[in-house]
Parts: sequence; structure tokens; C-alpha cells
Amino acid sequence: MPESSNLRQARSGRLRVFIVAGMLLLLFSAASKGDDSLADFTLHVRPFLAKYCFQCHSEGDPSASIDLKSPQSSDEIDAAYESFRNAVRAITEQRMPPEDEAKPSPEERAAIEKWYKARFVDNVVARPGPHRPRRLSAREYRNTLRTLFGFDLLANVALAEDTVAETSLVLKLLPTDPPGPSRYRNDTYSNPLSSVAWDSYSQLADSAIEELFSTKRKANLELLSGKVEEAGFSISNAERLLREFYPRALRRPVAEDQVRAAIERVKMASDLVDATRFELKALLMSPGFLYRGLLMETQPGKTQAVDDFELAERLSYFLWADMPDRELSNLAASGQLKQSETLRQQTERMLNSPKATNLAEDWAVQWLLLDNIVEVSTDVPFVVALKSQPIDFIHYLISEDRPILELVDSKVEFINVLTARYYDKDRKQLAPYSRPKGIENEIVPNQKIQLIETSGRGGILTMPGLLAMNRGPIIRGTWILERILGEFLPDPPANVGQVRANKEGETLTFRQRFEQHRAQSTCAICHDKIDPLGFVLESYDPNGALMQNLGSIDTSGNLPSGEAFANVDELKRIFVSSQSETVVRNVVVQLLSYALCRKLEFYDQPVVDEITQLMLKSQGTYRQLIHAIVNSLPFRETVAAGVSQ
Amino acid sequence: MSRWKMNRRSWLRGSSGVLLPLPFLNLMESRAQGLSPQSPPIRFVALFKPNGVHPPSWNINGGSEYEFRMSPLMKPFERHREDILILDNMGDFGFSAHQHSSRRFLSGHHGNSKAASIDQLIADHIRGDTLHRSLELTTEGIFPSQIGCSYISFDKTGAPIPRESDPQLVFDRLFRSPLSQPKKRDEMLSLIDRVRDDSKSLERKAGVEDRRTLDQYLSVVRDTEKKLATLQSAKPGKLDLEQLKRPASGGTMNDQVVAMLDLIVLALWTDSTRCATYMLGNENSRMVFDFLGIKEQHHYLSHFFRHFCRENMESLLKIILWHMEKFDYLVDRMKSFRDQDGTLLDNSIVLFGAGMGHSDNHTATRVPTVLAGRGGGMLKTGRYIRYAKNQELSSLHLTLLRKYGIAAESYAGNSEPLPGLNGSDYEPYRERSFESWARSEGTKIFAQGRLRMSDNLDEAKIFYIDVEGQQPLRLEIEFGDFHEFNVAYYCGLPIKIEGDGSDANGSYKITKIRSLQSVFGEKALDAPG
Repeated sequence: MPESSNLRQARSGRLRVFIVAGMLLLLFSAASKGDDSLADFTLHVRPFLAKYCFQCHSEGDPSASIDLKSPQSSDEIDAAYESFRNAVRAITEQRMPPEDEAKPSPEERAAIEKWYKARFVDNVVARPGPHRPRRLSAREYRNTLRTLFGFDLLANVALAEDTVAETSLVLKLLPTDPPGPSRYRNDTYSNPLSSVAWDSYSQLADSAIEELFSTKRKANLELLSGKVEEAGFSISNAERLLREFYPRALRRPVAEDQVRAAIERVKMASDLVDATRFELKALLMSPGFLYRGLLMETQPGKTQAVDDFELAERLSYFLWADMPDRELSNLAASGQLKQSETLRQQTERMLNSPKATNLAEDWAVQWLLLDNIVEVSTDVPFVVALKSQPIDFIHYLISEDRPILELVDSKVEFINVLTARYYDKDRKQLAPYSRPKGIENEIVPNQKIQLIETSGRGGILTMPGLLAMNRGPIIRGTWILERILGEFLPDPPANVGQVRANKEGETLTFRQRFEQHRAQSTCAICHDKIDPLGFVLESYDPNGALMQNLGSIDTSGNLPSGEAFANVDELKRIFVSSQSETVVRNVVVQLLSYALCRKLEFYDQPVVDEITQLMLKSQGTYRQLIHAIVNSLPFRETVAAGVSQ
Repeated sequence: MSRWKMNRRSWLRGSSGVLLPLPFLNLMESRAQGLSPQSPPIRFVALFKPNGVHPPSWNINGGSEYEFRMSPLMKPFERHREDILILDNMGDFGFSAHQHSSRRFLSGHHGNSKAASIDQLIADHIRGDTLHRSLELTTEGIFPSQIGCSYISFDKTGAPIPRESDPQLVFDRLFRSPLSQPKKRDEMLSLIDRVRDDSKSLERKAGVEDRRTLDQYLSVVRDTEKKLATLQSAKPGKLDLEQLKRPASGGTMNDQVVAMLDLIVLALWTDSTRCATYMLGNENSRMVFDFLGIKEQHHYLSHFFRHFCRENMESLLKIILWHMEKFDYLVDRMKSFRDQDGTLLDNSIVLFGAGMGHSDNHTATRVPTVLAGRGGGMLKTGRYIRYAKNQELSSLHLTLLRKYGIAAESYAGNSEPLPGLNGSDYEPYRERSFESWARSEGTKIFAQGRLRMSDNLDEAKIFYIDVEGQQPLRLEIEFGDFHEFNVAYYCGLPIKIEGDGSDANGSYKITKIRSLQSVFGEKALDAPG
């Protein structure tokens, strides 16, 4: 018997054991939770999935970015709710199973839909996410260190306008955070501390402390330690410094005996400054500094409101990616912060601070993949100009409190001399610019203009940098679908081949040839959604310029939901009217996810729904959205896991 | 014998007063022997100057191997005359793009793009048991428009090697790592004890997720401890580096470069590494030398003919002179450290130069190339060698490889070594002889002799004509004349001149040119120099 068959047999034997164990577990957990839904799943849903879906959508299969086979326990089903949502939607809309496969009966489809609705819509009660301490992201660490010490740690490098250099020592030394399951880098829970990061933290702490005690930083030191007299750094300086530093670094009050002990150690030491430096370093290397949320008192298994200091921290890292400032900490300490009017005022104050550019520079850059613009050209000032357009635009939407839907349809744009050529006569609104003598290329700040005479611009979809970074209709369409409409699709199968070239004598457009290429029914499931969104942008060339002569290019299309459009202006109108809920919901999901530093789960959906409806009803603005998030259940409450066995 | 003894005052001043505290100076004088017991290692340093030079003020013209006059830009080297070897007529024919120039500097030719630069080959060969194989350093960030401009050191596949610009980080890597510093090891171990105690007290009240986080944290702490424990048993270093003071942060680019040069020297002297390359800027650098009071970008100024005006020229010369001063500083510093029976410089070879000659028309001929140090006897310094024919830089590179003991048949496709470096025979450049004289008739002056720029770069608009047995004739003309007669082009050449001026006791001065020709018929082209 060939070896592979042996293996297969052994594996299936093992599988059987697993199944038995799994069923016992299912029975046990279903019984213990009194969960009818699980029984329903096991008896009806899973057999349906086995019949129609497992063939492709199971673990280990090439097309298995959707895995419907693995989830079996109640928790696993909850965790896979997105897969179920997509599956049920595809089944209901009869896009799945594909044409050449067996079809479920209308009754079977209805049963599945009913189960989904019961399980994930009707009976879902909003609850906060689990309390999970998480490490400061590199960006948060940089900002926190800066606020704590009062100066930025800079990497020494001579700057020229058309070179690229990391000027932050923190970002230069710390490993880059990978995006977490939420697709945001502040979602660090699943990215554990490493030895490399530890060594970098140590070096950064040394650098910061050394600089704090340098003559150059005397003023910063004295802010923390009080005036240092002629005689030098004294015990009373050290005491004051430690008293000040401990609660600031840990972002909450510290037990007196802990600070006392540090002060005693410093007093006993032979070298006062060395000992103080050591205490500071130990604090900066301690888990309480490096992790957020570790020091809050929790009640295992119980839903609780986050405490005042955790609330201050959440607010501050959300809006600024930075530790709370003194005003916020003081309000937390006095217990006032959680009062709704105070919280509202603080949120407004923080959004008016220069630090609030963080939302555009961090949240929006990650959400809209703006870092990809850097690949568009090697000309640094030009790339900076292209990338700063959407950043300045998002910052404008937030700082001037614009309606959420202006994201896709706006009359305001930010341009400079390097991007002016995209803006027809409106470029005349730019103040005259001439390069200073002897400067061959330089970075130029943007200026806000009104779009009056420019066609084909306005809103995020048609910004030159975004069009240039997303070359080709499929990439452009996918970007809109994912980033604006919030629908993420699995990767295409590996064996799809290439779109064929025209044969001799043929004059088919790319769109026509592409439509032949994707004619297979399995392709249509995704491409019916992607393609109209991509081909509508075919009137822009690969550099993002609007083409003068469209020739035979066809930009028209239909959304799967039926709306027809002839060009991108009409598509924008659809996005702000019949599809406004999809767009607004996506912005809500993106910002809430960033605020919570985690992927949203099924139990967050009621909150997403509620905020989305609120925003739609009131033509909500970005600030209204931020206030709604700050007051939302997942932001204000948490639940610590039960005591481990 | 006293040559190696350093000048304490200049040391303190030169290092911007921050690099070394006094105790280390004592150590340097008393214990500076015996870093390596037998023959000292021979180090290699390459210092790259971006954007070529202004040839009229850089080139040496006339003179001979031992009897030569330093050019205006080389004036600062007069005091190092015995320690340097100036090579002339080095390069390639034709013109050189910027990114080709940076590759040429240590890789022989821009086409040699799939091979290691010589510093890397040398570093591999001489590394011995040093902690750091080599240092690749720079001042600037990456220049994406022409990425090759950002690198001079390349690995064996020809790929660029990342460079570091921050002296503090280099210092930390060399002297602050627990690898090299027992005190840092001890400090980290006590820190580990502390954070572990803190975590334990947290653990008592921690929830499930908290505990998971703390477990992750503590496992990294444990790994670090283990790593340090293995180091603990390693032999202590030969020198106590604990006293070294870290360079300060911030400051001007000059401070940054001076600190880096100090570190290179310290790294070589402490035998932390034996090979370093340092770019004073990217090729094509757009840096603005604001600390020299200059507002224009370096690349713009380097096209001194395209953007000709008096102020631009003065700014460009200031920048080149600044580059020269940094080389001068490096040489000074290396002389001030004792190494076995001589100085650190005696046991090193420092290659200073650029990748192109003329910075305006990008010619690849007469590429600035200066060697400093005797390399433990491998080089015969105190000379100026101008080869009869153009010599490719790859010849120099091949010769250096062989001198360092690397059995290379050829380098960058060149198997012809460069003669003359150790005093062996070579074919020198021979100029046709000419007579020089000067005379006056009333306010009319007539003269013949070699034209040169003023040695004093503060008066870069003044030219001189050297006349044998007389005071040099001074040319103090208006810009109109300078432009019309293309005076800069004739620098270094023997010329015949007529003009209006004065004669104060045989000290001639021309203020208005009537005619100017080259003695041997060279014609001014579009571009001067």
C-alpha cells in the first residue's frame, strides 16, 4: 500500500477521535450554556454547509480564505461571524454555490438565513470586548516618551528636502508594528514583546535619560525635579523627580510605598544621579509603562466600567496616540472625566489641539493605505505633495467638523504647486510660488482651495495620489470596495492566468477582454462587485490625471444592488444617497476599530448599527461620530476574563 | 619620538569638548600600548566627498613629485605633507553621472555593480577577532531619485550596505552594548531583577489576560538574562571603555560629522573595527550648509558654471573647503593616537576623494584622490604623483587589495596595478617647458607664466601669474573681463597676457585685460576649468 494512503488512513483515524471528542465538547458546552442556537447549528446548519460548502471552504483548501468547516464550538462560531455573514449573504443572493454545483432548495436557504438572523442579529446583545493589556505601538511609545520627557528623541541625520530619513530615534530603533487583526498597528495584542524590542527599549530609555540629565535639557529636568542648585542634583531633586515621574509614566496614581521604596534606594546609593537614572530606566522597562491597561483593577468575569485613568488613557491614545496630558490626568484623578459634559469638553479640547493631526496621519493613513503613495515616484517633494492631499483633507473633515459623507463628495481640496496641474483653472486660487534661489526641489505646504471649475475631482475617490497608487481598474475597484464600502474579499485563486492580448485584427478594449477572462461563474462572485468600481475610474490615467480623450473607454456600470451610473460623478452621488448607509457604516467600523485597538466582533454590531443609524439620521459629522464612539459601550466598559483554571 | 604625543588642548577643542572625559586621556597616555602584541593591524578608512570639485582651485599644476605647490583647496594639508600621497590623473575618460560616481569611488568603475566594493573585501580580510567587521557611515538620508547616490559600500552581490548617520547610535553599538561593556551587563542584570520583582507583585492580583501579558514579558526578560549569562563568562576587553563619553545629540551637521570622525578614530584605535567608510554627503547632495551661512543647495552650487555668479562660487568653495577640513581633522586625530611604535595614522591607509572631477561638466578625469598614512610601510607618503596617462581608479583599488594581502588577479575587470605608491617607478606627467617673464611699458603690462587662483579663497576673484625670480603678477579684474576672457579655464596653464595696470617696484598688477592666450594654444571651451 502506498505510503500516502497509510497516512490518510492514520489521519482519518485521528480525525474520528477528534470528532468524537469535539462532539462531546459541543454537547457539554451547549448543555452548560443552554444554547439552543448551537444545537440548531449542529443539527441543521453544519449538515447544510457540509453538503454545499465544505468542498471548497474548509481549512487547508486553496480557496479557503473562507473556512466554514473549522468553527464548531459556540465560541468558534462567534469568532467566525464574518465568514458566516458573507456565506449567508452569498447563499441568499444565490451567488453561491457556483453555477456548476448542486443548488440548495429555497427551504434550505431560508433555514440558513433564519439561523443566521437569530444567531447574529436578533439575539445579539452588545457587550464590551475582553480586557486585554496591550503593548504601546512604536508610534504611541514615541509620543509617550516625548510627552513624559518634554523633548523628542531624534536620530542625528543631515536633512535635505529630497532625501528620505527616519528622524525619530524611536521609530528608527523599534521594530515596525505589523497591522493587527483590525488592520491597524495600534492593535498590538497579538504581537508579543520580543528580545529585539527589549534591547531597543533599553537603548531608548538610556538615550532619553542621558539626554534628560544633559546641560541642554536642564529646563526639562527642572520641570520634573525642581530647580537644581549650584551644588548639583540633590536628594530633594531626586525625590521630587521620582514622585513626579512614577504616576506620569504609569499613567495612574502609584502606591506610596512603591515610590517611597524607590526614594529610599536612591538615598542609600553611593552615586545619587546614577541611582536615579537607574530607577527611571527600571520604570521605563517595566510592564506598567510598556503596556496599556495592565494596571487597572479588574473583577474577573464581570462587565465593568473602565476606571477613570483607563478612560483618560483610551481617549488620549485614540485621539492623539499619546499619553494623557496633565489636564486629562487631573480630571481623571478628581473623578470628573467620566461626567458626560466634561468628557465632551475634553474630547473637543483634544480635537482642537495640534496633536489631533494624529487621526489623519495615523488612522487615515492606515485605513486608506496612504503609505502606498510613496511608491508612485522617486521624487520626494512630489510624493510628499500627493500623500499630504488626502491627509490634509481628512484632517480638515475632522477639524472643521464636516459631514461624514463628504469623504466621497466634497468641494474642498488641498493642493500645492506640485499637484496644481490636476486642478484646471482652480489652481489659480494658489498663492504665487517661486522656488528660492539655489533650491532645486523642495517640499511645499498645501493650500486649501474650493473646487469650482475643476471637473473630475472632489472627495477621496479621485485624489491624484490614490489613483496613481492604485493602477488599473481591478486594484482601484478593490480599493473602493474594501476601504470605502468596507467589504473585504478573499484573494483570487492562484490559477486564474492572465487577461489575453488582442489577436491580430481585434480591437477589443481591456474591459471587453477582461470581461471574457472573468466570465466563469466563480469569478463573477467577486468581480461583479469589483469591476464596476474600477472601470468607472478608467477616465484617469495611471498617474491620476483626467484623460482628455476617452475614445472607446466605457466608464458606466451597475452596482450589484442595481444602481446604474455613467461616470464617477454619478457613482459619488449613489454613495451619498442610496449607498450612504454602507459608506457611513464603514467609517464607523474603521474609527471604532482604531479607537478600541481591536477587530470588531459580532457583539459589537449592535453598537455599530446604533451609531450608524444615529449618523444617518442627523447627517452626522466626524466630531459627532467621535463623541458617539467615546460614549459607546465598548469604549467605556470592559470585561476581564474569568479566573483561569 | 614625541610625534605621537597629542596636543591636549587641540584635542579638547577639536572634539567639540564632548567626546572624552579627562580620565580617558590619562589612560591613553599611560596604557595605550599593547592593543595587539605583535605587529599592529593595518586599518582602512575611506572618506567620500560628494559632487566633485572646482578644478581651478583643486588641481595642482606644475611642480614635481617632491617639489610641488599645494593648490588653494589643499592648503590646509600643508602641515600633513609628509603623511599624504596625492594622486593626479586618476579616473575614467568621458563624463560621469552622479550615481556612477559614488559607485566608482570604491568599486573601480560604475559597471562593477555585481561585486563587493574594496572596503568590504579588505574588511573581510583584516577583521581578525574584532567585534565589528566594518562601519558604513554617512551624514544624510536616502536619495530615492537616484538611489545609487546614497551608497559607496556594496556587498559581494553588489547590493548597497545600509549606512548609519547618528554618532550616538554608532557609539552605542561600539561601546555601550552589553556585548562590549561589562558594566552594561551588570546594569541590565540588576534591572532584570527589579522588573521581575515588580512583575511578581503585579501577578498576584492579575487577571487571566494580565497574566498572559506578564508571562510574555517575563519570558523575554529570561531570554535576555540567559544571553547575558553566556557573555558574562567571556573574557573582559583589553581596554576599559567605561569612561568614554557619548557624543551629544543635536548640534549642527558640523558637530555631527566631527563626532563621527572622532568615533571612527576611537573605533580603530580600540580595535573595535579595522575598516570604516564615511560619506560626507550623498553624491548629488542637495544639502544646505546653513551653518556656513549658505542658503543654496550643494548640488546647485556645484554646477558653478551653469549657475555662475561670484556669491555662488564663494559658497561652493566654502563647502569644498569644509570637506577638506574634515579630512584634515581625521588625519590630525589619527596622528594623535599612539599605536605601537608609531601613530594610528602610520598603521592605516585613509583614502579621501570623490567620484568625479569637474563638478559642473561631470568629467570623470582628474578625480580627486588623496591617500593618507603609510599603511605600516605599504605607502611612501610626502609626494605628489601625477601620472603621464589617465589611470583608472580600479588600478588603485587592485593595488590596495594586494597590499592588504588579498590575492586578487584583477578588480573591476582591471588587472593592471597602479605603480609608484611605495616609491617604485612610474611614468610621470611631463609638461612642455616654457619661459616666464613680466615687463611694463607705462601703464601697459606684458607677461608670460602659469596662471593660478589666489591661495586665499576669501579672495577667490584674484588670480596670479607665477614668474620665475619675481613676485607673482596679480590679476585684479572686473567680472566682465573674467567672463569675456574665460580666465577660469586657463587656470593651471601657461599663458601670455597683455593688459593695463601698475608696476610698484617690480610688483605687477593687471586690472584690465587686453589679450590673453595659452602659450601652447589651448582654447577656452564653453565650460571653464
